[in-house]
Amino acid sequence: MTIETPAVLSGWPPPVLDPAGPFAGPVATVAWVLFVMGAVVLTLVLIALGVALFGPPRWKRRVAGEKLVWIGGLAFPVVVLTGLLIYGLSVTARVADAPRPGEMRVRVTGEMWWWRVAYLDDQGREIVQDANEVHIPAGRPVVLELESADVIHSVWIPRLGGKTDMIPGRRNFMRLQADAAGVYAGQCAEYCGGPHALMGLVVVAHSPADFAAWRLKQAAPAAVSGVPGAAVFTASGCGACHTIRGTEANGLAGPDLTHVGSRQTLGAGILPNNQGTMAGWIADSQGIKPGNRMPSYSVLSGQELRDVAAYLESLK
Amino acid sequence: MLLATGLCAAVTACADKANAPRPLAQADAAQGLRLIERHGCAACHAIPGVRWPQGRTGGDLTGVASRPMIAGRLPNQPGVMAAFVRDAPALLPGTGMPPMPLTDAEARDVAAYLYTLDDD
Amino acid sequence: MTSETGFDVDKYDRFPTTEPRPAGELEQLEQAWCGPRTPWEWITATNNNIIGVYYVGAAMLFFVLAGVLALLMRTQLALPMTGFLAQDTYNQIFTMHGTVMMFLFAVPAVEALGVLLLPQMLGARDLPFPRLGAYAFWAYLIGGLAFFCSLFFGLAPDGGWFMYPPLTSMTYSPGINADFWLLGIGFIEISAIAGAIEIIVGVLKTRAPGMTLDKLPVFAWAMLIFACMIIIAFPSIILATLLLELERALGWPFFDPLKGGDPMLWQHLFWFFGHPEVYIIFLPAAGAMSTIIPAMARTPLVGHPLVVMAMLATGFISFGVWAHHMFTTGMPQISINYFSAASMAVSVPAGVQVFAWIATMAAGRMRFSTPGLFAVGGMVIFVMGGLTGVMVAMVPFDWQAHDSYFIVAHLHYVLIGGMVFPLFAAIYYWLPMSSARPLSESWGKWIFWLMFAGHNLAFMPMHLTGLMGMPRRVYTYLPGRGWDLPNFISTIGAFMFGLAVLLWVIDMIRNFRPFGPREAGNIHDGPGLEWLPSGFYSVRSIPVVKSLYPLWDQKGLAEDVAAGRYFLPGAARGERQTLVTSPLNAEPQYVLRIPRPSGWHLFGAVFTAGFFLILTIQAYAAAVVSGVLAIYCIMRWCWFLDAPHTRKTTEIGAGIRVPNYVSGPSSHGWWAMVIVLIVGGMVCLLAGFSYVFLWSRRPDLWQAPPPISSLLVSVGLLAVAGLCALAAPRAVRVARDGAVSAATGLLVLASAGVIAASIVEGRAWWTTGLQPDFSSQGASVYALLSWAGTFAAIGGLMGLYVVLRRLFGRLAAERPSTVDLIGLFLAFTAAQSIGVILLVRLFPGSGL
Repeated sequence: MTIETPAVLSGWPPPVLDPAGPFAGPVATVAWVLFVMGAVVLTLVLIALGVALFGPPRWKRRVAGEKLVWIGGLAFPVVVLTGLLIYGLSVTARVADAPRPGEMRVRVTGEMWWWRVAYLDDQGREIVQDANEVHIPAGRPVVLELESADVIHSVWIPRLGGKTDMIPGRRNFMRLQADAAGVYAGQCAEYCGGPHALMGLVVVAHSPADFAAWRLKQAAPAAVSGVPGAAVFTASGCGACHTIRGTEANGLAGPDLTHVGSRQTLGAGILPNNQGTMAGWIADSQGIKPGNRMPSYSVLSGQELRDVAAYLESLK
Repeated sequence: MLLATGLCAAVTACADKANAPRPLAQADAAQGLRLIERHGCAACHAIPGVRWPQGRTGGDLTGVASRPMIAGRLPNQPGVMAAFVRDAPALLPGTGMPPMPLTDAEARDVAAYLYTLDDD
Repeated sequence: MTSETGFDVDKYDRFPTTEPRPAGELEQLEQAWCGPRTPWEWITATNNNIIGVYYVGAAMLFFVLAGVLALLMRTQLALPMTGFLAQDTYNQIFTMHGTVMMFLFAVPAVEALGVLLLPQMLGARDLPFPRLGAYAFWAYLIGGLAFFCSLFFGLAPDGGWFMYPPLTSMTYSPGINADFWLLGIGFIEISAIAGAIEIIVGVLKTRAPGMTLDKLPVFAWAMLIFACMIIIAFPSIILATLLLELERALGWPFFDPLKGGDPMLWQHLFWFFGHPEVYIIFLPAAGAMSTIIPAMARTPLVGHPLVVMAMLATGFISFGVWAHHMFTTGMPQISINYFSAASMAVSVPAGVQVFAWIATMAAGRMRFSTPGLFAVGGMVIFVMGGLTGVMVAMVPFDWQAHDSYFIVAHLHYVLIGGMVFPLFAAIYYWLPMSSARPLSESWGKWIFWLMFAGHNLAFMPMHLTGLMGMPRRVYTYLPGRGWDLPNFISTIGAFMFGLAVLLWVIDMIRNFRPFGPREAGNIHDGPGLEWLPSGFYSVRSIPVVKSLYPLWDQKGLAEDVAAGRYFLPGAARGERQTLVTSPLNAEPQYVLRIPRPSGWHLFGAVFTAGFFLILTIQAYAAAVVSGVLAIYCIMRWCWFLDAPHTRKTTEIGAGIRVPNYVSGPSSHGWWAMVIVLIVGGMVCLLAGFSYVFLWSRRPDLWQAPPPISSLLVSVGLLAVAGLCALAAPRAVRVARDGAVSAATGLLVLASAGVIAASIVEGRAWWTTGLQPDFSSQGASVYALLSWAGTFAAIGGLMGLYVVLRRLFGRLAAERPSTVDLIGLFLAFTAAQSIGVILLVRLFPGSGL
């Protein structure tokens, strides 16, 4: 399944008001209730103001007393706010209830400026490593365990729900559910320095059968070896930061590349993923995403660059 | 808004010139631009009309239409251009530009867009 | 009405006096309060009429500078992925925009308005501590400019105005950029607190006689609440900046989770300051609105007591809402619900004020001259910001809106509608009080409409960009997400706003003529005392106030005041004087001799700012020199305080005599000292909270305290020191020879005691092997001890100061204030140390 990135990232309709799951839906309803409330109150205030400024004397007298302050300033807001508060608390409780046993867990760790993703088994052990993409089965809740490796980040996938921070030394939880298969864009929402603006995230929801297949494939080590690009990869020292399971590359500083060719995006949600963009990213990652932790490998010859890009793209 | 207007103006202005010398039969330059954006060609090339990225790994494609050579080696002709954007290493074995996942027709669209990029 | 002080209020009926004023009285008054003539005198001036104008001008300068930064950001964001600003430049600029707007513009601007207006409104000749006000201003201006200039060297902070660690810790911000923020904020804290002391004592102690609290102008109420909130809220940011700087410079792990720290501690401390801060900015502006709207509608404020109650309620509730900035941090549900409810509650008092304004407009006839336009326009914008505020108080919605452009829209609606527009209304309204010419009305209308349209064009679309998924604090965004158009519109609006401000600056240059012999005067027919005819001495005589709107209700008041028919019509003995009255009923208590300009407060300010700035660039030796010089200058400045009087009493008009000197709780100095101690105590309390908070995160890291024997020694020393400090004021009042020496001796003993106890306690902890960089326990224990130890060290300096005064004969039994205040300080220091020591020894219970 491939869905083109630009369509996914489109801002219209506004993703907050275009929910795709049960943790975002009630919030969109809350938003609409609030917009209506805001519009009504603003209209009432403007009417009172209009009367006060331009109304005929008879009307002005009606809004000129302390009674208006008691009613408009005190009684009315207290009633409206109490109603909203009760409504808000009930939605909060519904949307944010704690993780339940038996729900699938994914550990997402915020790093400057990408996401480390690990799928956990029932005992909480990491079984598959991945990066910058969270794959989930559609139609059932998944729990994200949110951690940080350096500074505070925040996960925000507006069509699937509100945001939750990743705080060093703490573990937060976020429940996600996409009702339909598809690709959902997300982004880091807490300022984390440098290229915070370019720290995107993609959530891919599969039908349950597809998800099982994806997970099986993802658990397998890299199937490609012996191609010229693999040698370039090793010789250039890429393995010091990146892991490709099934090869000697076992670095932990950067994203796991075992199945990098199958990802939707490169550079944490910012570039489409193909041999061309892979080559461009390797040769000039600092030009594309200034300040990120991967150096530009402009020393590679054209042939080497192409080979290594071809190799990585073959890791589906 | 301004950008869009400017872009339209630029594209129309260029299209007039590009049509005459290098016809690419049934190729759609606008579609070519969409393909360029979707495949992220700009990860390596600065391409007028694409805001971001503006890669520095490959050549700057500003004015590519009026250059005599492609990549300094190949004659700048429509057929060669379409073949080059699709599978550069087949034509220039030492190039850093990887083959791109484009169909023949798509490659012609991309070439058509590139031929709108005159010097001025 | 019963008297508060024993003053017979029937004596008010003797005014206005009828006998002719003695010849030469006015000349003597003018002579005493003569304005500056040489450049040096302009710099060393302390008169609030001059410093107030400087202060407002400096705040507006920073408003313009931070506004230029905003325009740079809007240019960068006009289109996706532009290269107008580099990433690190943008990150510095957005950090500086927020920091400068909040710390160098908003708080100082309203404080400046208070410094300029309050003495006039209250019928005082000056604020009670004019040199402190001037010191605060110069420290702020020099420090603020130097801080701003860090941008030009690429050294500006880039961690956001909220400076969340660990992004701002040494690991992730190794440059000195973050230190610039921390130390740069340091002197702004000092100047804010100095200003708050000035305002609290000014409002409570220097009102015109008869101005009981129910006749206190609503703006003065607002400034009083504002200043009290600074006293409570600023200690939190003082502590936070100290802790982060300690972590950065010395590796004390308050926020580093590897050693037991917690980044959330910063967020609690920062927002415990940061949210009240918003109301700190808003309340004075609301007070200005509640003053301007009645004046422009020519009718009393409807529901005046309700408005005052609403402002008090805002002050209280605002301290209970800080964590609504932290709804996404995974707080427990119960806390989330509480903070959601409190955040909604805080909007109720704002609603009361808005409807009081509307009712006032209806009761009178609103005039749409420029101040009226800005007041109405600001109110509309503020209401819209308040409504989005209610939206984000709804937790589920906040989870989506938080840290998105929706919040950017919300906060600008609140702050621009709640503070900037009222400030412009205030500038247009009150400027004729300080300038020979008012600002142009026709320009004013253009400026208002441009600003109003520009604001809405800039910030309205941001609600949408937020809902479209655009996060805040991004230096750019990818194309193709539909954010291009709303961002482009926002940029156009921002430039319209900028144009309006530019026009205003030009009009200021054309028309603002301060410090002249004449002022444009009461062109709006305002009702407050600030519209009385005035000179550098403020009012010719201090009136008896019988109404909330004296100029409307007391016929002939202006003429009588100008003719010197009220209190204190001259300058007895050529001194600068003002009348000190009682806090509730404003009954005359004594005449306060106001110091004349001198250079010491100015040098003190220069070296204080220098200390912080040089510390930032890590030239430690030079910083120490600057710090010592600052202390020396401040001590020299204090040296002339508490000086002898030639007479015991002064005739203040109609044969009424009041003393020239009082000590103890009636004196203005006592009040100021108590406020300083409240600030210190608040910092200590919050440090204690931090200690408990860090323990609750990692109790396993806590090791046993030192043995009990050393505890007995240090607490015993402190108890003795405290008793000595309390005894000194009594000793100095014993009518016997040697009383002064005995008091001096007691104070020296007390200061030696607190210092000795600090050393004993510090050594006791050190010998347990616990060091400050080991763990969160070490960091927080030594931080608490250092805080108490700093007070002990200041107490030591005070002991030295008392000895010097004794040797030079500047202590006297009939003038016990110096002994009183130092005794008070030392007693507090001893008590604070005991509190600190008992906390770290006995909590969490491993001590005994």
